[in-house]
Amino acid sequence: MLNVTDINVYYGSIHALHDMTFHVNDGEIVSLIGANGAGKSTTLKTISGLLRSRTGDIEFDGHSISRTEPDVIVRQGLTHVPEGRRIFLSMTVEENLDMGAFTVREGKKQALDDVYDRFPRLAERRSQIAGTLSGGEQQMLAMGRALMIRPKMMMLDEPSMGLAPILVSQIMDIIVELNKAGTTILLVEQNARLALKISHRSYVIESGRIVLSDTAENLLNNDQVKKAYLGG
Amino acid sequence: MNLINHLINGIHVGSIYALVALGYNMVYGIVKLINFAHGDIIMAGAYVAFFALDAGLPTVVAVAASVVFCVLLGVVIEKVAYRPLRKSAKISLLITAIGISLLLENVAQKLFSATPRLFPKIISGGFYLGDRQISMTTIVTIVVSAVLMALLTVFVKTTNAGKAMRAVSEDTEAAQLMGINVDNTISMTFAIGSGLAAIAAVLYCCSYPQVYPTMGALFGIKAFIAAVLGGIGSIPGAVVGGLTIGIAEALTKGYLSSTWADAIVFSLLIVTLLLKPSGILGRKVVEKV
Repeated sequence: MLNVTDINVYYGSIHALHDMTFHVNDGEIVSLIGANGAGKSTTLKTISGLLRSRTGDIEFDGHSISRTEPDVIVRQGLTHVPEGRRIFLSMTVEENLDMGAFTVREGKKQALDDVYDRFPRLAERRSQIAGTLSGGEQQMLAMGRALMIRPKMMMLDEPSMGLAPILVSQIMDIIVELNKAGTTILLVEQNARLALKISHRSYVIESGRIVLSDTAENLLNNDQVKKAYLGG
Repeated sequence: MNLINHLINGIHVGSIYALVALGYNMVYGIVKLINFAHGDIIMAGAYVAFFALDAGLPTVVAVAASVVFCVLLGVVIEKVAYRPLRKSAKISLLITAIGISLLLENVAQKLFSATPRLFPKIISGGFYLGDRQISMTTIVTIVVSAVLMALLTVFVKTTNAGKAMRAVSEDTEAAQLMGINVDNTISMTFAIGSGLAAIAAVLYCCSYPQVYPTMGALFGIKAFIAAVLGGIGSIPGAVVGGLTIGIAEALTKGYLSSTWADAIVFSLLIVTLLLKPSGILGRKVVEKV
């Protein structure tokens, strides 16, 4: 589904991603784990076209997207729920979802009903201004908004950030459900244990490099990973 | 003259300020740039309309030509001068805007000389409301402005392109992730703002029939004040700000003296900003994390 080959991304003179190569197969949940500032968000932004790699290639669903504009990438069925949710705070819940369906011409109503079915809280609050939602509701809205295009693949950047544990496990359950319903998932998390619990495979990123990759199960039992990311 | 007349005059001038202020606010809302060249778009629009009318073309054609020219000019300026700097420091963008403003004024001076041209009378007549005379120019100005503002509001609220504008102005990156093409949206914003400026130019010339290279400078600044006063970045703010400035100006001219009008307008700005820095309708979104 997604093949990232040898990408190198710079912020001015800072070399943020080094020769990164990884892939996500159709139907998988793959996670990128690593410390703050390791380059996880940069990786997602590069895939969705907000940043450009100087080298290499990114292939999604059989097409190279490394020179494609972000809005065209969305139209191809790859959606990105950014770090910090980035919902439109001054708009209502429903207006936010409508924005999510910006590229959708047909079946908007059905997509909206599906999102409300999955997130009943959003249905209750459909005409509320998004800025007044709680953190968990905002995360649900960000995910609901991304689901409006019925994506083939969804990238989630730190969905657990700033949420109470009960909400975190709810959000993780939803990610698993979405995956079971056929959406391929690329998940970025600082909370490695959380990510490994629901992923099939995972890549460990340190200072812009992939240093380890394996099945989630093996990584959970890897001494190095345990020590560095799972608190012993 | 009495109060009602002054108010009507104020609404008349204020509507023109509002049309121009809309351009400032839409552009600010979307690229966070105070487009100092916006006033000079008015000048360009006035010259195009003047030459078209001078060549004997019908008014409608002259206005259309002015709109088309200003739309192209606005879009080209954004593409050539502002777009390459979009990721640079905001101050570079601002200085570029001032540079474009000076460039337009000086090119106009070179091409057309500094001598003012007399804009022909395209609206004449008037009628009596009781024993009060209202000129046709006033009626046309107010009606045209009101219709344009209503259309713009409907456009921004209901069309996909309007929604894209709102999304980009709130969060550019998130808008991109929704599949919105930011470059096109910004071009469209400049196009609409410049088109409104062209119509404002013609309406302005109907009341103050002189066309000269720096005509947009002070007028542009006052419209900018209207924008800040109403709430920079806000579309209804531009309308409220424009009308406030227009009415304040008309009342000053009527009851005090014309020489005080600009001073009062600028003082109004200072006082408003001291009391409410975000402008009359400027608002801060309540953010809960």
